[in-house]
Amino acid sequence: MRFVAFALYVAAFGAYVWHFARREAAVGRAATTLLVAAAFAHTFLIGMQTMEIGHVPFAGPTSAISTFVWMLALAYLYAEMATEERAMGAFILLLIVALQTIPTISPGIEDRAEVLESPLFGIHVSSLLFAYASFALACMIGITYVLLFKEIKAKHLGFFYARLPSLQVLDTMNQRAIVIGWVFLTIGLVVGAVWANQTASTDPRVQAMQLQDPKIFLAVVCWAVYSFEAFAARRIGWGGRRTAYLSAIGFAIVLLNFVPISYFLTRSHNF
Amino acid sequence: MRIYLIGLSHQTAPVELRERLDFQARGVDAALQTLGKRAAAREVVVLSTCNRAELYATCEDLDTARRDLHAFLSEYHDVTEQAVAPHLYERTDLDAARHLFRVAAGLDSLVVGEPQILGQVKDAHSAASAAQSSGAILNRLFHASFAVGKRVRTETGLGAGAVSVSFAAVSLARKIFGDLSERAVVVVGAGEMGKLTARHMKSQGAPHITIVSRSMAHAARTAEAIGGASVAPWDDLDASLAAGDIVIAATGAASPILTKARLEAIMRTRRGRPLFIIDIAMPRDVEAAAGELEQVFLYNIDDLQSTVRENMARRASEVARAESIVAEELEKFAAWLRSRGAVPTIVALRQHFEAIRRAELDRLLKQSSLTAEAQERVEDITRLFMEKLLLTPTEQLKLLGDQEIVGAYSEALTRLFGLGSSHAAESDAHRSRVIDGTFNRNTRR
Repeated sequence: MRFVAFALYVAAFGAYVWHFARREAAVGRAATTLLVAAAFAHTFLIGMQTMEIGHVPFAGPTSAISTFVWMLALAYLYAEMATEERAMGAFILLLIVALQTIPTISPGIEDRAEVLESPLFGIHVSSLLFAYASFALACMIGITYVLLFKEIKAKHLGFFYARLPSLQVLDTMNQRAIVIGWVFLTIGLVVGAVWANQTASTDPRVQAMQLQDPKIFLAVVCWAVYSFEAFAARRIGWGGRRTAYLSAIGFAIVLLNFVPISYFLTRSHNF
Repeated sequence: MRIYLIGLSHQTAPVELRERLDFQARGVDAALQTLGKRAAAREVVVLSTCNRAELYATCEDLDTARRDLHAFLSEYHDVTEQAVAPHLYERTDLDAARHLFRVAAGLDSLVVGEPQILGQVKDAHSAASAAQSSGAILNRLFHASFAVGKRVRTETGLGAGAVSVSFAAVSLARKIFGDLSERAVVVVGAGEMGKLTARHMKSQGAPHITIVSRSMAHAARTAEAIGGASVAPWDDLDASLAAGDIVIAATGAASPILTKARLEAIMRTRRGRPLFIIDIAMPRDVEAAAGELEQVFLYNIDDLQSTVRENMARRASEVARAESIVAEELEKFAAWLRSRGAVPTIVALRQHFEAIRRAELDRLLKQSSLTAEAQERVEDITRLFMEKLLLTPTEQLKLLGDQEIVGAYSEALTRLFGLGSSHAAESDAHRSRVIDGTFNRNTRR
């Protein structure tokens, strides 16, 4: 099943790229259909894994990536339907395919550590994953903003000019994704902190839930970056391209935290 | 039945002649009525735009139609045939269809890919439909041309990109701001160029316009000329710019009024809101270096002209794709047209069968004393029997492509069934049922 979902994501990626390059309406519809099919297959996959192990698989780094990809696909589909704009699909699907490669090669479905059997844990992980999916969208929107901005600024109205929506629309979408992401990031962090304080476990990983832990530290850095972007940047005149860059930087930190740090560096979050 | 096209366009006739032959002045309806009285053509559609006047017709005999339509053009527009003839082009059958497809696609337009023509083709057809001068063939032909126009628009970039300076400016403004209805346009200078550009902005959905000029009286006159705009004194220029989104600089000043330093100060108060400046003044009103400021998009008239040139080149590169769509749709239309070749034979064959059935039924019903219900049953059964027998031959005949094969089949059938003279008596209603396929649908039950 995981290969089916992956193959559908790859096919959708191909279709979105084709649609972006050639702008054939039928290909665009096919791309959306493929992505919907992929999201369904992925939902089914996660559902099967849940039944197999008795809980939603997102505690370990690999299964968290899978869940993140799933949420990103859903968030993107929502954005596409709300804006009727497919231009971002090629960019988002690139990220989806790249990340989904990891759980496809080795699913890494874990038994859940005893200490994680708390409803707060579920809220913590799902809000953070959702926040990251929003930031991924914001990052991709930011990248396309910069590409379009450069074409207009350089007075060379070419490829992206013909394909992307207006700078204003991209900026608004970016801002919205950032604010939604920020809300969920805040919820996720607060719930995580409350839960870590409540738990009287002697698990060494719980003992390591300190600000010095790289994963927790970077999450707080992320929160600072996104708080600035969501609420302060525009007030000091950092509109447009600078906020777009900021979205990319923020998501780079998210990715760093999400993949290499989860696998190799953290002592607290390696379940 | 032949398709015949006669007309002239910007490619063959000077504007004076096009104006003489314009049908719009007196209305296309009047022309259709006059044509209806002449009756050399069975169906006719008049396509008249400022760049072309064309008559699409179907006829039994090309020579008669040609003579008649030539005469019509000169009589109706009161010009001598000799004056018009050198500028007219004629096309027949599939060449006429190809011509219409290219017209609807915008391939034959003065500005290649311009979007209005498809609407004009549609209007021409609906006027003819309303006047009942368009029939089965021209209906099919025009609907096929709509499909071509639509496909070319969605599948190629033939209509993409602005090809005039003023549209290039509006298109850029839309790419930066999206919807323009809430955006403030500031026109600096009250000259002719600024007025034209402001008027264009307004017609393109940017209603909030402020005119800043050294002379308030001049500004007020310009504001009135573009149909409503606010005016601001020259001293308020910086404040107006700080509040505006789109700036059209068009003063006659000898040196740049908007220097980089001045704009930098203005931008600071805008908190990163983008500012789109269109400098159409000669010499320049805005220092070129101002374009380096973050969130300032500065375009002068040369920049706009070069984007127009790029768009033109891009459209030209899409022509081949559009032509191949025309070719595809032409092939479909040709197949339909060929399938009509067998129609008279099909009709004759069916009439022959029906005549036999009718005769036998009449005899039976006269002799026997069947109940009304039984009579109806007999009627039904014989009809179904006949239609089932004819189903395959009808379908096969309609699939024939080659004119010669159609001829051979038709001769064989005529001889085998003795179809002979009833050929000519085909009824139009029956014909159209055979053509549009309702006959088959009814039979298949």
